[in-house]
Amino acid sequence: MAKYSIISKLSNGGPLLLLYYLCISEVDTNLEELFEIFTLNFQIILIYFWVIKRPDIMANGHIFLAGLINDVVMGFPLGLSSLSYLIIIFVGTYVRNKSVNTTIASDWFTFFMAMIFSNLLFFSLLNNFSDLAFSLTKIGYNMFFTLFMFPVFWLLFNIYQVTFMTNRDA
Amino acid sequence: MSVSRDDFSIAFRSALLQRGGAQKFSVLSLIFLALVIFFLDIYGSKFTQPFKGVINDVVYRVTYLASAPTRIFPKAGENISSFMNVREENKKLKAEIEKYKSLELNVEFLSDENKNLQKILETEYFNKNLTNIVLAKVLVDKDSPFLKSIIINKGTKNGVLKGMPVTKDNYLVGRVVETNYLSSRVLLLNDLNSRIPVTLDQGAQAILSGSGSKNPLLEYLPEDYDVVDSLNIFASGKDGIFTAGTPIGKTNSSGTVDLFVDPNQLSFVTVNLNVQSRGNF
Repeated sequence: MAKYSIISKLSNGGPLLLLYYLCISEVDTNLEELFEIFTLNFQIILIYFWVIKRPDIMANGHIFLAGLINDVVMGFPLGLSSLSYLIIIFVGTYVRNKSVNTTIASDWFTFFMAMIFSNLLFFSLLNNFSDLAFSLTKIGYNMFFTLFMFPVFWLLFNIYQVTFMTNRDA
Repeated sequence: MSVSRDDFSIAFRSALLQRGGAQKFSVLSLIFLALVIFFLDIYGSKFTQPFKGVINDVVYRVTYLASAPTRIFPKAGENISSFMNVREENKKLKAEIEKYKSLELNVEFLSDENKNLQKILETEYFNKNLTNIVLAKVLVDKDSPFLKSIIINKGTKNGVLKGMPVTKDNYLVGRVVETNYLSSRVLLLNDLNSRIPVTLDQGAQAILSGSGSKNPLLEYLPEDYDVVDSLNIFASGKDGIFTAGTPIGKTNSSGTVDLFVDPNQLSFVTVNLNVQSRGNF
């Protein structure tokens, strides 16, 4: 029984561990080596999916902390990634409160809105309050591929949820 | 109509303020906290700098440890394959040693001649004082579509200061943009924020600008100047930061620059502390 509990805790904590690992390690989703313009923001896909499906496993405080770590590692001003992730949480929570049944299409559309708000805040703050220059083309590619890949990860995360995760009501 | 507006405001407020269960903090309080941290970092640099330096040092070390598997597994594969080819490699190396031995005399003569010419020109050989060069290990090399930088394991403790040039095998790699006590961040030449005055083989002056991709661009070339293939590019030293004559790369057929050092393959670099004594910072 205890063994089962540990395994279920580990599997339920998987997405949060993955988020922390992506923020703190060298592993990145910048796949320009593979395909010239292929970059995606995997963190926001991860956060958005689990906030709308299982908010109990993605605590706001943890996401905030992961954002701070991401800023330190990437060299962005502190708090910027946290703000961007919190906007994702806010839109995700709002969508969850307003909707009863969601489909992949509705999640995809609302994810697009969340990503627009989040990136708008991120890059406008970066542009106005720091000296860092960035390429609008790259932002465009990044947003496009993040949006494009959302359904793929939506399916993978759903499979993970059904296969490995225990129901919160169980 | 009023019901739908009520629904909207309830859902909106709930999304911002909801707590309980796994959520110990509301989104609104965390947004407020993130904004405070952000503006403190931007405007309160003197106040937050020591604190941020400690956080940076700790996080970079943890990142280095967390990234160990991603470094170990590819290296293990490489080691196994190189072990299999050790005999062939030995033969090749022996042949190469013979070749280099014959070239050594020639090189010695040329380097003496070079030093004499430099004395005549009253310029400083950039590698003259080796004691002022610090070897640093790359702790973190996280690739980002927006920022191209690396973290090295040397900081103010070792005399590293902001702006110091960073090289690998005497080829320019970038410059230090952030220093902590035990670590520093190096902005690579291909970063969008990187601008360096350079000299081309034929004496033309230009600015090497990072493009965010692997190959930086040459800007502000003389009017009607045609960039031909395979022109060597050196730091001009006009900014007083980079030592004049430090090799950077070669032009290619597409008009961009192929760097001599692949910015994605850095494991050890050297920081030139010579510039510190010149009081440029």
